[in-house]
Amino acid sequence: MTGAFAALAIGTAGTASAQDESKPSPQTFPTSYGDLSFPEQYPDGTAISITQWSHFVPSYDEWFDEYARKWGDKHNVEVTVNHISLGDIPSTLSASIAAGQGPTLVEMNAAPSSFIEGLQPLDDINAAAQEEFGEQADTCRYTSYLPAKDQWYGFCHGWVVDPGVYRSDLWSDAGYADGPQTYDDLLKGGAKILQDTGTPVAVGLSPELDSEFFARALIWSFGGTLQDENGNVTIDSPETLAAVKYIKELFDNALTPEVFAWNPASNNQAYIAGTASYIQNSISFFRSAQDIGKPVTEHTSFRPGLKGPGGEVHMPAHIWFTHVMPKYVTDPDEIQSAKNFMLDLERNYSHATYNSKLYNFPAFSKQVPHLYEDGGWLDKDPWGSEPADKMAFMKTAEDWTVWPGYPGYANPAVGEVYQTHVISTMMADAANGTKSPEQALEDATEQVENIFSKWRDRGFIGSGDN
Amino acid sequence: MSTQQRSGVGPPRGRLRRIGAWLDQPKVLAWLMLGPAVLYVIAFVGFPFLLAIALSMSDATIGDPSLDTFVGLDNFKAVIQTDAFKLALRNSLIVTAGTLGLVLVLATLASELLVHAFRGKRLFQMIFILPWALPVSLTAIVWMWFLDSTFSPVDWVLVKLNLLGPGGVWGPFKHMYFLGNEWLGLASVIVTDTWRMLPLATIIVLAARMSIPEERFEQARVDGAGVFRILFRITLPALKPMLIVAILFTGLLVIGEMSLVQLLTRGGPGHSTQVLPYWAYLKGIQGGSLAQGAAITLFLFPFLLVASVLALRAAYRSQEA
Repeated sequence: MTGAFAALAIGTAGTASAQDESKPSPQTFPTSYGDLSFPEQYPDGTAISITQWSHFVPSYDEWFDEYARKWGDKHNVEVTVNHISLGDIPSTLSASIAAGQGPTLVEMNAAPSSFIEGLQPLDDINAAAQEEFGEQADTCRYTSYLPAKDQWYGFCHGWVVDPGVYRSDLWSDAGYADGPQTYDDLLKGGAKILQDTGTPVAVGLSPELDSEFFARALIWSFGGTLQDENGNVTIDSPETLAAVKYIKELFDNALTPEVFAWNPASNNQAYIAGTASYIQNSISFFRSAQDIGKPVTEHTSFRPGLKGPGGEVHMPAHIWFTHVMPKYVTDPDEIQSAKNFMLDLERNYSHATYNSKLYNFPAFSKQVPHLYEDGGWLDKDPWGSEPADKMAFMKTAEDWTVWPGYPGYANPAVGEVYQTHVISTMMADAANGTKSPEQALEDATEQVENIFSKWRDRGFIGSGDN
Repeated sequence: MSTQQRSGVGPPRGRLRRIGAWLDQPKVLAWLMLGPAVLYVIAFVGFPFLLAIALSMSDATIGDPSLDTFVGLDNFKAVIQTDAFKLALRNSLIVTAGTLGLVLVLATLASELLVHAFRGKRLFQMIFILPWALPVSLTAIVWMWFLDSTFSPVDWVLVKLNLLGPGGVWGPFKHMYFLGNEWLGLASVIVTDTWRMLPLATIIVLAARMSIPEERFEQARVDGAGVFRILFRITLPALKPMLIVAILFTGLLVIGEMSLVQLLTRGGPGHSTQVLPYWAYLKGIQGGSLAQGAAITLFLFPFLLVASVLALRAAYRSQEA
């Protein structure tokens, strides 16, 4: 990096000294990243607007708004931040592209590859970020680059860990002192807990985000995949069938029909209400429970995903924070300042991680040294977990976290399969007996192949070599 | 001194007078009065409808909504083959028919009640109209909590009545799982839609009910007619034109509504409670296949067109009779 540094402390978190390891590092705003150079000040009248989803940890939004305002003051840019509901993000971007006007940046929560034709390539800032910050987490790289078009369509600045969460008291009483380690433990231990206490395992089988993620984690950990590295459909496999048969058995023995009706908040609510022995969710519910002082937090333990029959563990990220810039943004100063903003945000990501209460993990782990280091935030939670190392399991999260489309890229077909709930429907149909596991898989395979075929014909799928 | 003279404004003369006379012509006046409505229909109904047709025959995506590639009926063929579409079409018709049936019965009963004076009638009317005044999303959230799989007060009452729970008449579970079961889920959507649409239908039917002269009922009673005879021989025939209007309004509003299903069941379990508008949204906006989403929305058009024409013709005939 050749540019000059300008150090600026922003907000209460930013006032911490560099020596205080419980606080984020001081904020810096370089004028160059890799081959990209930026001015200290932009011409009068430069403005950017950012539309992003309302964060599940409210303190993040408070910090971000203040950070954006002060970043704008420093660079002579008027920054407007709009927070909208998570579910409204795709329709907002879609409407903006169709209208040819809207926000400068939209922060997507999942791979927005189906929008690629309406988005500006962000190859330059991704290259600059990798040169400056080192290796990017795979879960971010595979959800912001599309090889078939050889284009970085987004800049992923962070992601969220999606761990398993269990009630340590219930599992201990059932003979699992360290909680469930495998899907087999989940079945046997979950059934015993339901029988003994009436408390079910609470993983969704509904057309919603958490159910989709649980289904994918299950399939991956059983050795199945939706597609291969080159975008060939691979869902119809003995491994996937074994996963579908497993969900039927799990439902019959350890779940209740409530899971068919769930929305993304339901497993959190059930867990906090004490009516769930195991869920798969991010830590935001735990932070909410801490805030309102729920007694259930003291019996809450986390673990990386469960092991499949072959010992594999794969979990999806819970959310990705991916900025995209639509093609209708044409003003050079607006484009340059928006790119500057994205790179500066990553530069100062320790503040994002800290103020999200360790919800946001950095796309570039080097940017938040306090998070991973021995005795750092994960070893000693600055937000008051008891014991203090409750979050330490997330140190290895990059190793077991994958992405929709794993092991290939998150192409538009992967997105449509996810958004139209093909996989959660397959699992639900098998679990409630509407279809046999074989029939459910066969039907899902047909749908997946049709969706892939449609997007392949449009040139969105493949390695880009042909 | 007259007011006009004081303000300096006299009767129109010359050009103004000619313009006034031209505007007074029935044909001109008619177009002026209808113009805004016609423009509104063209801009907000006609244009979007034509755009939907064009999109459905293109390969538009959310990233590239341009109409530069014509694919004919390919999108229609593709969406019609899926189980989700078939279920969505079936459910859209079931939900609409179920809601219409319930709304018509309840609106007729409610209008019979509201046509009479009783103590607290105004307060009752105010409460009765509330569901119509609520935003659809708020209605859905209220009912979502009411029918929640874990925290439903309905379940609580059923457990207290020994109908649910261990040893209960309806099984050992303490919950009905209203929104997690295909038919209970559809019934929940119908009941919620009925709750939302009943005030509008009742107002329409009540207006017709109030226009029936009371003497006709008195004469029928003097002649010895009972309640049902009066209902089927006097009330319902007189209400028929407005009942048809109520059917039309309710049907169109229900069949095009996606928020209730989106919030209550999200189309699940699986796609068993899916409806066409929500499926179109999932496919077209969330899934990125804008053209296929447009094709799904257009499938209802022939049904709606035929139903609307038949309903309006029936209404006119009833009025003429």
